[in-house]
Amino acid sequence: MKKLHELVAERLLCLSALASSAITLAILAFLVVMGLPLMRAGGVLPLVYSPWAPFQGSFGIFPMIVGTCAISLASLVLAFPLSLGCSFLIAAVAPSAVSRGFRRLIELMTGIPTVVYGFVGIFLLVPIVRELFRSGSGMSLLTAALVLGIMITPTMTLFFCDSFDRIPKSYLDAAEALGASRTQQLLHVMLPLAKKGMLTGVLLALGRAVGDTLIALMLAGNAVQVPTSVLEPARTLTAHIALVMAADYESPEFRSIFTCGIVLYLFTLTVTFVVRAMGSAKDEAA
Amino acid sequence: MSNTKIRVENLYFSYRGRSVLRDVSVGFARNAITALTGPSGVGKSTFLTTLNRLWESTRDATMQGRVEIELQGRMRDVYDRGMPLTELRKKVAMVFQAPNPLPMSIAKNIAFPLKLAGERHRTVVAGRVEQALRMANLWHEVKDRLQDDARTLSGGQQQRLCIARALVLEPEVLLLDEPTSSLDPAATDAVEELLTGLKERLTILVVSHYLEQVVRISDRVVRFADGTIVAG
Repeated sequence: MKKLHELVAERLLCLSALASSAITLAILAFLVVMGLPLMRAGGVLPLVYSPWAPFQGSFGIFPMIVGTCAISLASLVLAFPLSLGCSFLIAAVAPSAVSRGFRRLIELMTGIPTVVYGFVGIFLLVPIVRELFRSGSGMSLLTAALVLGIMITPTMTLFFCDSFDRIPKSYLDAAEALGASRTQQLLHVMLPLAKKGMLTGVLLALGRAVGDTLIALMLAGNAVQVPTSVLEPARTLTAHIALVMAADYESPEFRSIFTCGIVLYLFTLTVTFVVRAMGSAKDEAA
Repeated sequence: MSNTKIRVENLYFSYRGRSVLRDVSVGFARNAITALTGPSGVGKSTFLTTLNRLWESTRDATMQGRVEIELQGRMRDVYDRGMPLTELRKKVAMVFQAPNPLPMSIAKNIAFPLKLAGERHRTVVAGRVEQALRMANLWHEVKDRLQDDARTLSGGQQQRLCIARALVLEPEVLLLDEPTSSLDPAATDAVEELLTGLKERLTILVVSHYLEQVVRISDRVVRFADGTIVAG
């Protein structure tokens, strides 16, 4: 029979789990309820694929969806090779003292507030992009993607390192005894074995890039348009929410931000399910 | 011409400041099985790793002394700067205590060292895989399941697979660190029979704790105690 304190602890944990699940569902319900008047008036799909033209009565968020996808994917393209290089260095190439020091540095970088990255971007990167490409103010999709890429690199690097660390040593010993160099061990043993964990890291970093508000708000230029070049300004869903938040509570503009919220929510949900599905597949394989 | 295949002189090895091997000087004849015996922790396995420099990836370890191995008809200092590490490990292969097949198919496991060596020709690879599996007395047991995951083989088969994988690059020296300690008697017999057959082509050094096994398979016994050779 369970002791009283065990029973209380069990119930408390169960209550916490239920409360967090309920809060998650309540957030979705809140978004739907708040966005409902606008969705009822114009339909859900037109809101997603039509342009943002409030003076013509169009409150579509299509440019922001494109902006979000473009900036987050571009940041991922930048961050992936950087993370791969850093994790290779930490896990396999660098001497142990350098590897430990570098890992601590990367861990520290994950804790730097986003706004600091934003400031660095504004004062260092924006002028460089402006001078280098001589196109616009320097606040562009490229600028935001560069800073966002640097910001998500530590997260991805640590995930990659953890995936490498989980590889059984016997596999590496076998490869080494067969004459594999460190690079060959990385390419032929470590990468194939770590790919699922690495993919999880990529998806979570993508989730972080999509969900970030400040970098895009400070550096992307915030123009409501579908960007046709990386040097053009763009607006993300999160930045749009922050910018339209000040509008009248009952206005359709204000209501449209809940559609943005739903899109972001569904994206996060999809990433979570994909990561979980991959985790279960891995467990079954093991 | 001397019959010495491996010559070790004044070998010292320490790990984290602790002496593991002290003043080891010994020679090993070619085409013979030499058993390295002695209690646990006296440096037998470490000694093996000094022959193909596998210890070098161990942090906080240092070595002094001279190790020469006859490779392709010429006595070579394995610690000479001109001795490529990958080349050394192809010629001085090692099999570990616990079978360690890589998480890939049986065929890919055997072909793995060939891939590392840059061999891309499929027919050549297939031929060498078959040859290595035949040498390891494993071909008839796995020829119909070459694409199966190597980890689905029994323990004894996995160890013979690891020996086949070591043989595929046609080494001249085979180092085995207690290769049968995790196997049942039948699997042990299969590995012993294999090693006895291989000594015609290879110089074999095997660490073993089992006296009966040592008597059964070895031509010579070298006994270690307290970091040095006390007999043999």
